Amino acid sequence: MLFPVLFGVSLFIFVVMRVVPGDVAQTILGTDATPAALKQLRQDFGLNLPLYEQYLNWIGGVLTGDFGESMRTGKEVLPDILNRFKLTFELTFLSALISWVIAIPLGIIAAMKRNSNVDFGVRIISLLGVSVPNFALATVLILILSLMFSYSTPVGYVGFFENPMRNLEIMVIPAIVLGTAMAGAVMRMTRSSVLEILRQDFIRTIRAKGAKERVVIFQHALRNAMIPILTIIGLQIGTLLGGTVIIEQIFSLPGLGQLVLTGITQRDFMVVQGAVLFIAFVFVMINLLVDILYSYLDPRISYK
Amino acid sequence: MKQFLKRLRQDKVGLIGSIGVLLVIIVGFLAPVIAPYSPEQMFTEHTMEGPSGQFIFGTDEFGRDIFSRIVYGTQVSLKVGLIAVGVGATGGLIFGLLAGYFQGKTDQVIMRIMDVFFAFPDILLALTIVAVLGPSVTNTMIAIGIVFTPVFTRVVRGTVISVKENEYITNAVAIGVSPVKIISKHITPNIMAPFIVQITLGLSGAILTEAALSFLGLGVQPPDPSWGVMLNSSRAYMEFAPWTILFPAGAIVFTIFCFNLLGDSLRDILDPKLK
Amino acid sequence: MLKKIFLFFLLLIVAVVVAACSDDSETTADGEDGGEEAAEQVLKIANDQEPAGLDPHKTPAHSSVRVYSKVYEGLVTFDENMEIKGQLAKDWEQPDDSTYIFNLVEGVKFHNGREMTAEDVLYSFERIMDEETASHISSYFSDVENIEVMGDYKIKFELAAPNATFLSHLTNSSAAIVPKEVVEENGDLQQVAVGTGPFVFEEWVPDSSVTLSKNEDYYIEDVPKLDRVEYYTMKEEAARLSAIRTGEIDMTTLTAKSTELLEGEDAVNIKGYQSLEYSYIGFNVDKEPFNNKKVRQALSLATDRQNIADVVWDGEAIITGPIAPAMGDWSIDVEQEELYQRDLEKAKELLAEAGYPDGFSTEITTASTYADMVDTAQLLQQQWKEIGVNAEIKQIEWGEYIDTWSNTSADILVGRNGSGTDPDRAMNYFFHTDGSANVWNFSNEEYDAIVEKGKRTIDQEKRKDIYVEAQEKLLDLSPNLFLVSPENYVAVRDGVKDFTPYAHNGEDIDHVYKK
Repeated sequence: MLFPVLFGVSLFIFVVMRVVPGDVAQTILGTDATPAALKQLRQDFGLNLPLYEQYLNWIGGVLTGDFGESMRTGKEVLPDILNRFKLTFELTFLSALISWVIAIPLGIIAAMKRNSNVDFGVRIISLLGVSVPNFALATVLILILSLMFSYSTPVGYVGFFENPMRNLEIMVIPAIVLGTAMAGAVMRMTRSSVLEILRQDFIRTIRAKGAKERVVIFQHALRNAMIPILTIIGLQIGTLLGGTVIIEQIFSLPGLGQLVLTGITQRDFMVVQGAVLFIAFVFVMINLLVDILYSYLDPRISYK
Repeated sequence: MKQFLKRLRQDKVGLIGSIGVLLVIIVGFLAPVIAPYSPEQMFTEHTMEGPSGQFIFGTDEFGRDIFSRIVYGTQVSLKVGLIAVGVGATGGLIFGLLAGYFQGKTDQVIMRIMDVFFAFPDILLALTIVAVLGPSVTNTMIAIGIVFTPVFTRVVRGTVISVKENEYITNAVAIGVSPVKIISKHITPNIMAPFIVQITLGLSGAILTEAALSFLGLGVQPPDPSWGVMLNSSRAYMEFAPWTILFPAGAIVFTIFCFNLLGDSLRDILDPKLK
Repeated sequence: MLKKIFLFFLLLIVAVVVAACSDDSETTADGEDGGEEAAEQVLKIANDQEPAGLDPHKTPAHSSVRVYSKVYEGLVTFDENMEIKGQLAKDWEQPDDSTYIFNLVEGVKFHNGREMTAEDVLYSFERIMDEETASHISSYFSDVENIEVMGDYKIKFELAAPNATFLSHLTNSSAAIVPKEVVEENGDLQQVAVGTGPFVFEEWVPDSSVTLSKNEDYYIEDVPKLDRVEYYTMKEEAARLSAIRTGEIDMTTLTAKSTELLEGEDAVNIKGYQSLEYSYIGFNVDKEPFNNKKVRQALSLATDRQNIADVVWDGEAIITGPIAPAMGDWSIDVEQEELYQRDLEKAKELLAEAGYPDGFSTEITTASTYADMVDTAQLLQQQWKEIGVNAEIKQIEWGEYIDTWSNTSADILVGRNGSGTDPDRAMNYFFHTDGSANVWNFSNEEYDAIVEKGKRTIDQEKRKDIYVEAQEKLLDLSPNLFLVSPENYVAVRDGVKDFTPYAHNGEDIDHVYKK
């Protein structure tokens, strides 16, 4: 699964970047450039070579760990990607964490009290979270926080291992914005998975044996419900990795999303190709991990 | 069907959702009747005015009536949602049926291709597709549709595979009923439930994606009144003209919220395991 | 158990949120490095764009210029009145109209400690003019025939013909003097910066910040006053606004609309200056109906420029011709121009004469990246509708826009130009038949002759008359419609002293200090 998918992604992004109208040399040199300078620059980037040769050069490099250099800044692509991945991954992880803290308990409660007013309320709140475009939520939040609590969006980024407190201070608001949207989906999945498990025979048996409701939920139902929940969490983390673009831009966070976005507007092929391939790789790996966890949890589930 | 409607009525969440969705659709259809002005008309004497009797939601930086723009924006959003989901759902239905029914090589090829699209971050995929096709409402809808195809394909394929295990279908295959007939007569009706749920959820996803693309400057083209465009261009005025952002945001949240409510409740009702 | 874990995370999040919102005041008062070195002068500037690279010879992006112009210097520069004065060149003489001999300041050191000499000047200009460098300013010096080192501190430039623009081209930040060994060591200067300027390049964290520190050995005494300058990339206007409000940053550029919001804040001062930029509409003059002068004039008559200034720039922009008013004497007063008086009847008449009595349909292309361009397009669409011209708007993102511009693949393009610092740029470079930026297919022999004369005339007064004639001619031919030139704004915290922005240098921080 890994290689065919990554091969497909690499081919797709390579072709797309060549089809998108625009010229990297012209975007770099701007309106003052002479045709000779433009031609020289294109040649420097190897854009005069036949397409298949360009692709082979690139993918050959990638296979040996050389993602090439940014056309815009001359910086090596791979170290830059890895560096930014730390941020994007942390942001993703924090948002996921926030959404779990909110969503999983709520989902369980809603399932336990299905069709009650509590269930009704929980579902509405969680759906509200999914219904707000996150860029709007982010800008409104910045305005309100800055007027009421003199909050300022982070100025300059500090890595987690350099200064954990400062880092969390920077990350928490963006993580909340992303987490809110994610919480709704996790909540729904938790609710329906728990509902489904609660209806199964073995739970009825346990109940019939007179086990406490708390034991039923936490020891039996939740453990079994974790499997579908895990699947959606894996998917969500994967989607978030690429979905942080807008939030990174609004909160001035130097993450992967910004790298790709600038890359696209500048037609910096090397950066976009490298970063997209990398994101796809991580996405596939996460899903693989989820699959592994799945089979690890699998024996406990009762097959029909 | 009757039972279905009854259950929908019983579920408060679903009821609110369906009423809301209905309302949005009615507003969309009756836009020319409801809106007092043309969405593009600029009242140059009345730029950035707060809500008043003449302009109940206020005006934007060009002096356009925000209420009229929101009402017409309903059409744009519905159009984007329906066509994008239409593209995604049709693609998903075809590929999912093929992959799920024939399995083996066909399945392998189709699902690997879907995986490629799936592994591609949503927004970036939409962004690159719009960049290639050129920005316009139609291309935005196609791009979002393509982004949605893998999800629909997975849903359909999964259901087809589980339905196929049923004895009556194995029997039908055994006595030599043609695949076309099996798919159309026996399989398709069974996959409708999860498919419809995915469609309702897709609709809200499409409207949100359109808004996100507008933020990146690649959504609907001005001066068309899309909620996403309105929301994005009014962010700069949020502080001294909050009405320019409040009402479009309200419209988006309300619509997506209702579609989600409906989808959520449909899932509850249609999921056979939860009956 | 699970409940406890949830509770723990919940508390953690609450704690961090509280921390994020509350302790800004402490951290900003004296920087994060603690109070002991409170005297350290650090200026924090937020920018809306990330530098595209640091090589002065290869990177025209403004986001890059604002950084490398603090690190590098050229032979000459502008003073506050836009008069040319020496920088690395102490003075210069002209044995004849096409020869310049520069005497360099002695004892100037690059940041790597080596002394800067005439050899470095020679090397830098050879690098700029070398085709392999692919420099965006190579065409500026195409008249240079020979450069000769006449001593460690003396260098001669010989031009093919007298050229009035030569000195002002030398003031361009990209005409920087760079050390050869650094270029050779790194291949190019995109990631490093070693110049002679008042600030030393320290670090560039991509998409986050660039740090410069004081050049302790700077050859001008008491300059600079700051110990450190930190540039932060903050693309979102709301983010910059919140950061200047709380004092997280000391300085940033803002739109006219946002500056209004800061009027009530005592701790923030707004400095405005008339920019050298202007917005325009470009026509592909080869294409029907825009190959007809009358159509272009009709559109000019149908355009309400004041309305554009009011709506798009909040009134903080002035109506302009091809040379922005900030260029002073060079630009003509366009207020009385016939084609600038909105007159729909006359516009319709002209359209009828051109053979379009009922108007026509067309498409306006604009860049989605810049809200002002999109807004301008929307206004034009409405204004032109009144004479029967129905335009669709096509907004494309920046990479494609640049491509569209250079290939003239749009019929009507909304854009923004920089007037540069010499009228030659606005007149010759943009509209001469062979001008590198004349992408409009515009060609007029008479006009070409006028601007060529302007370039070759050294006498300032005569030169001014020539450009007045050129501007009148260009307005009449209307290959572009020139709209408005906006005012630019810099928001500055109260503690920042001695900061004055100029049109040609919006961020002069050499003498700035903090109190």
